[in-house]
Amino acid sequence: VAALETEVLVIGGGSTGAGVARDAAMRGLQTVLVERKDLADGTTGRYHGLLHSGGRYAVKDPEAAKECVVENAILRRIAADCIEDTGGLFVSTPWDDDAFGDTFLEGCRATGVTVEEVGVAEALRREPRLHPGISRAFAVPDASLDPWKLVWGNARSAKEHGAQILLYHRVDALERDGQKVTGAVVRNELTGEQVRVHAAVVVNAAGAWAGQIAELAGGRVKILPGKGIMIAMNHRLVNTVVNRCKMPADGDILVPIRTVSVIGTTDSPVADPDDLEVTQSEIDEMLDEGEKLVPGFREARALRVWAGARPLFAPEKVEDTREVSRSHALIDHRMRDDVEGLVTITGGKTTTFRLMAEVAVDAACAQLGVDRPCRTHEEPLPGSEEGQFYTLGARLRAREPRPQSEEIICECELITRQRLEEAMQRRHTENLDDIRRTLRLGMGPCQGGFCIYRATGILHAVERLDGRAANEALLAFLQERWKGVHPILYGDQMRQARLDDWIFQGLLGVQHLPS
Amino acid sequence: MTYDAVVIGAGLAGLTAALRLADEGRRVLVVARGVGSTHLAPATIDVLGFAGERVERPAEALPTFVDSHPGHPYARLSVEHFAAGIEWFKARLPGLGYRGGLEENVLLPTAVGVAKPSAVVPETMAAGDLRAGGRFVFVGLGLKDFYPAYLADNLGQAGASARAIELTPPRGAQTDVSSVGFARRFEQPAFRDAVVRELAGHTEPDERIGFPAVLGLERVGEVWRELEARLERQVFEVPTLPPSVSGIRLFEAMTAALRRAGGRILLGQSVVGAETGNGRIEGVVAQAAARPTTYRAPSFVLATGGLAAGGIHVDSYGKIRETVFDLALAGLPGANGRPPFLPTYFVEQPLDRLGVPVDDQLRPTDIDGRPLFENLHAAGATLAGAVPWREASGNGLSLATGYAAAGAILENMS
Repeated sequence: VAALETEVLVIGGGSTGAGVARDAAMRGLQTVLVERKDLADGTTGRYHGLLHSGGRYAVKDPEAAKECVVENAILRRIAADCIEDTGGLFVSTPWDDDAFGDTFLEGCRATGVTVEEVGVAEALRREPRLHPGISRAFAVPDASLDPWKLVWGNARSAKEHGAQILLYHRVDALERDGQKVTGAVVRNELTGEQVRVHAAVVVNAAGAWAGQIAELAGGRVKILPGKGIMIAMNHRLVNTVVNRCKMPADGDILVPIRTVSVIGTTDSPVADPDDLEVTQSEIDEMLDEGEKLVPGFREARALRVWAGARPLFAPEKVEDTREVSRSHALIDHRMRDDVEGLVTITGGKTTTFRLMAEVAVDAACAQLGVDRPCRTHEEPLPGSEEGQFYTLGARLRAREPRPQSEEIICECELITRQRLEEAMQRRHTENLDDIRRTLRLGMGPCQGGFCIYRATGILHAVERLDGRAANEALLAFLQERWKGVHPILYGDQMRQARLDDWIFQGLLGVQHLPS
Repeated sequence: MTYDAVVIGAGLAGLTAALRLADEGRRVLVVARGVGSTHLAPATIDVLGFAGERVERPAEALPTFVDSHPGHPYARLSVEHFAAGIEWFKARLPGLGYRGGLEENVLLPTAVGVAKPSAVVPETMAAGDLRAGGRFVFVGLGLKDFYPAYLADNLGQAGASARAIELTPPRGAQTDVSSVGFARRFEQPAFRDAVVRELAGHTEPDERIGFPAVLGLERVGEVWRELEARLERQVFEVPTLPPSVSGIRLFEAMTAALRRAGGRILLGQSVVGAETGNGRIEGVVAQAAARPTTYRAPSFVLATGGLAAGGIHVDSYGKIRETVFDLALAGLPGANGRPPFLPTYFVEQPLDRLGVPVDDQLRPTDIDGRPLFENLHAAGATLAGAVPWREASGNGLSLATGYAAAGAILENMS
């Protein structure tokens, strides 16, 4: 068994874990991050992509709203390249009590959320597809946030500060010496090899899976995973984040992100965060709620549905109520379970990931007996140094001066052959889903119908795969894609799916491939 | 203008029905929203490639197949009829040099290197037959829709002798060249010279050379024969992603033949409804650019395709309807609580055999098998009971049922 020595071991490669790794590394701590799959494969990569202004929590959860206000401003400074500055609107539809608007305004003012009531005509001018019967509208600094870019930006920054990131490494065991956690045994999921990571302190940032990790050390953290489903609609039905102006509920947010718009979400308790079934009634609920925001929503083309697992922390001990903020949970197992060397950070939301990382690393530093200030709010992420928000048209603008001068492999997302080859070389992966998360490959209307055969051929060449490994990459991608498309096939997307059947099963015959 | 028959849909099924009717002296109108699925699929006539096992001899396999699949459109056809349709098709499109028949399937490599059974294939693809063994070399042109090394690897795994060569023929100022772009370039002598020069000395005399199916459009026969002569090797095409160059050739050949035979083709018109009376279709209403137009005739052929082509539509409530006549459908999910799809992609899905049920004259029926309209016939992917993309029966189904629908109309007329 190979061995690694480190000061901080971070478990989990979502926004929180990557943020913890970056924070720890920036404080000069030796850091290793392990993630059982790919970065942002879990909850972070499955959320709607809303950078909260705080408006959504202004009435229901003022503490969370205040955190969002601060972190929104920080992320706009340090992670501009991950953000599209869409702005946000809260609108009272005919189904909402427009008196709530006053409560909402008060809540925003009390929590510091920048808010301005705009006239209905102005709101409809900004977003012509909105329901014409809206009675009030409020503008807030919501934005859309690319979760993969955010996590990769944090991971790259962590690496630049000396951290080591081990992807596809699952924690088999946490090791203890008496009451002290001394590290973990992790297994490379691709090769089966085990690595023993000795660490002075372990930060459990496994989110909805944090309970499973804590249990390995004999700690007890009760997580109630909450399933939230989201549907990506083809095109940008709106160009501003649109929220219903009412107490937060299901299906009341529409987020324009990249080439799509995402409607979300639900919240229902599930036993296992790895087993998130999407039901027809949940889909219908999203579509019906979408219809209230944007009439004709059901006739628009739905691309894909998926579910993420929120990590809802359930306080069980007296210490918990003291330690746990309203919006996230930091658990120092020294005090709580008499287990040293283990800190759990869970709950929360992607908008406040940086803050969560900060408090977790503060707690880790306290265990290590060092006192070094957090700097993650000061230094921009790699790629965001210019402070420029990304724009929807950036990829097209880059292509336009010389159309057809480069081969476009994924037409939906304008991914060139060169960009794809570079990403494959950089990621050195045999998994096309990793490339999807890196470049948005296959995430447009054809859902990989055209680009995935091409990407397989290119992967075969770039990674010098044998046919069998390339086949596995192709078949695994198609199966994974099917999970997200089959529950929501209708209209033009049904036509697309059947065309894809003709391409993959008819023209290519992939079901007969040896793998 | 009066017509003897109106055909709705310009895919292979509709064009086959129309051409056969026109050949018999009937005045035919084809009205369609656009070009059909010819542009999406290879031009091979796959009759039956997989029926559980891979099918080697379709003529032998068909009787057993229809016995075990009584709801399949093939159960409405006789093998003799099938064979007649194929012979007619081969003779009718001499420019594409179709070869083969129902007796045995050839095995052509797909673009990922799977051996796919086809009954009748264009001459430009015939030398790709893997059954004879031998050595193959696959040539890449830098076309983003063709990866010969990957293809050859998989064929090698399956025991064939195959390798790949990548060429970099001149593309001109444009880098992002599509299949159609390469097909046009192959029609230019200078481009062929460059390809032949670059390949010279890199292949062995006993190797057969496979190109992506982009060897020209109108002049494909000429291009293919010239390459065989100059390379002194057998040359063949491998179909790849849409747009399908070989399918475009088929569409062009069919429509040219149809026009020569006096048929009329109107594209860009969606048929959105019908006028009916006395158990007959009196006319169909097409949404043209300016205003709705009604086309009347004694006979109609519905060949609008299935879910892919839009002949059948599913809305967000899961309601499924045939889009022109709102015909009864067979193979609907939910009837016995089945979901339309299973979580596993690579299996037959509950919705896959969805379509219009027909009688022996290919007339759409109600669920009890009674024809809905005396003078309406249906053909192609609209029909219930087939899974052509899994059976490898796509163009075979369209050709055979288009031919049979025309046959039924001719019989009624006489």
